Amino acid sequence: MSARNTILDKLRRNRVPREDDYELPPVKILGDLDKSIERFEKSLQLMGGEVLPQRDGQTIEDVVRARFPNTTSICSAVPEVEGTLKITDLKTHEQSNEVDVMVVRSPFGIAEMGSIFLSEVELFDHLADVHLAQHLVVLLSREELTANMHTAYRERSEFKTAFYGVLMSGPSATADIQGVLIRGAQGVRTLSLIWTS
Amino acid sequence: MSNKPVKHAQAAAEFLEDDPHRLFHDERLWDMRQKRDQQMHGMPEWQELRDRASRIKEHTLANLPTYLEQFEENARRNGIHVHWARDGAEHNRIVAEIMGKHDAKSLIKSKSMITDECEMREYLEPRGITVTETDLGERIQQLDHQLPSHVVVPAVQKLTGDVAKIFAKYYGTDPNIKDPHELAEAQREAARPVLLSGDTGMTGGNFIVAETGGFVVCTNEGNADLSSNLPNVHIATLGIERLVPRVEDLGVFVRLLSRSALGSPITQYTTHFRGPRKGGEMHVILVDNGRSDRLAMPQFWSSLKCIRCGACMNTCPVYRRSGGQSYGSVYSGPIGAIIDPTFNAKKFSTLPFASTMNGSCSNVCPVEINIHEQIYDWRRVLAEKHDIPFVKREIMKMAGRLLAQPRLYRVSIEGTEVALKTMPRFVLYNYLNPWGKHRELPHPVKETFNSWYRKNRLKTSTKKEHESA
Repeated sequence: MSARNTILDKLRRNRVPREDDYELPPVKILGDLDKSIERFEKSLQLMGGEVLPQRDGQTIEDVVRARFPNTTSICSAVPEVEGTLKITDLKTHEQSNEVDVMVVRSPFGIAEMGSIFLSEVELFDHLADVHLAQHLVVLLSREELTANMHTAYRERSEFKTAFYGVLMSGPSATADIQGVLIRGAQGVRTLSLIWTS
Repeated sequence: MSNKPVKHAQAAAEFLEDDPHRLFHDERLWDMRQKRDQQMHGMPEWQELRDRASRIKEHTLANLPTYLEQFEENARRNGIHVHWARDGAEHNRIVAEIMGKHDAKSLIKSKSMITDECEMREYLEPRGITVTETDLGERIQQLDHQLPSHVVVPAVQKLTGDVAKIFAKYYGTDPNIKDPHELAEAQREAARPVLLSGDTGMTGGNFIVAETGGFVVCTNEGNADLSSNLPNVHIATLGIERLVPRVEDLGVFVRLLSRSALGSPITQYTTHFRGPRKGGEMHVILVDNGRSDRLAMPQFWSSLKCIRCGACMNTCPVYRRSGGQSYGSVYSGPIGAIIDPTFNAKKFSTLPFASTMNGSCSNVCPVEINIHEQIYDWRRVLAEKHDIPFVKREIMKMAGRLLAQPRLYRVSIEGTEVALKTMPRFVLYNYLNPWGKHRELPHPVKETFNSWYRKNRLKTSTKKEHESA
């Protein structure tokens, strides 16, 4: 018998818990339903992310350049930012590994966690490249916030359509050496957010 | 695998000899527990979340074959190659076969307990495949040839100086580095070229979703998203118990996982894989390795609800003071004590005794596993199977006879008080009394409760009863 059938057969015959005794609880939306910008920003900052203010007369490109004044490498996946190259120009991972600042747009954010979502759609299939960059700048519309994890999975169809969908909550981090929290482990060192309408 | 019982108490005693390690370990884990409490107190719905998490898992386990088939069908439709492995050896063979087809030699891994459980590195490395752990803690343990100490923080038993020495040996960094930032940076620098040149990526999976045919990986360092997306081939090793029925169930579990583990609201990365990326290839290996047997054990099947958050380890006074290495197993702490004996009852027969039975593990468990009750049940099972040491077994038998007979008990207690007062230390503190190894026996009392009660209360209460009658 194949491994598959051996396992399934064993589970069918021998398992102690039986269908009728354990009903699936219906889905329920729990927790705080506040989806304000303030809550999102507070959560993002707790996770080590930052919010970049946009002053009157500044373009988004200006905001990015003001945050990273010395960089010579800005890779853009959004029409709002010209940068020094486009994400679709990246041909090899070695080339992507040289990218200093990556700019992307997230389709939605989760206020409870300060999380932003990215999938193959926003990344133009350059899935690894966004994590190879040193710094990440995320554009997010103020209109695209959901309250918490329950509402996110209820409202956002991306979880059922994307083949790769990552919720990033701040930059990469580790506390594996003597409990010291280090922001900027192996993925992006910083994650900054710029609001758009 | 050696069958000799793990000498937990002895290994723990060795761990306790060094004050800096002992104190840091205890404080660090307790700090994680306190951060978890802070998160919990900020969420009035916490208990309801735990209850739902437990019920969803119980339902899934009761319907496991159906949901596994549903997952398989949906995953295949998404273009994922689905494999099944009865045990670790079969899993390892499948990995080698997939890599062989691509003539692949370098496997870059993010952290997954189940591949440690399958002893995959030990199988692949002699076959010419380089396996590189890319999670910082797991990499430290790999370089030091040790099992992970903890399911979430694998190298928590080490101090900065230990890591500096290991990195100096393998990465050529300064052995005297004092700043963990410098060491984390050294890991980033060392991992990048390996990540960029690796030909196969591997992850585990925290949750499998039957409804979508996808799975979710929760990590912090960013190494899993690099390991899975850089090479053309991504293999995910998934324990069959990790299923949930619906995408919306993830809301419950993601809200509980990192809060219970580290006291952070969510992991930095919560990655949903549902199919291969453009031009890539994705394999999923569904691993049984004893899980179907565990699901057939009336007292122990619910341990399969575990989501590997490590909260039970952080809260356990025995784990905090003995260190993960002393358990001699991939899974340590209270959860290890109840699942390790299902892999090897003889080898891990000592672990259910590494508990004070305080029940804290059950109280913090986000999926409400009755861990301490299962620890107790394991003791009974092991005693019946004679898988506990002779001295412990005989003393327990004597204690059983004694406690069953009140008169005999009273006489012997009075005798004990005399003994505690009069006997020399070498009689009281010897190998028959492991309890006294690190503890002082209680001070003898002047009078037992029973004799005091007979003198002061029994007569008056009989008198009162007499009067009222």
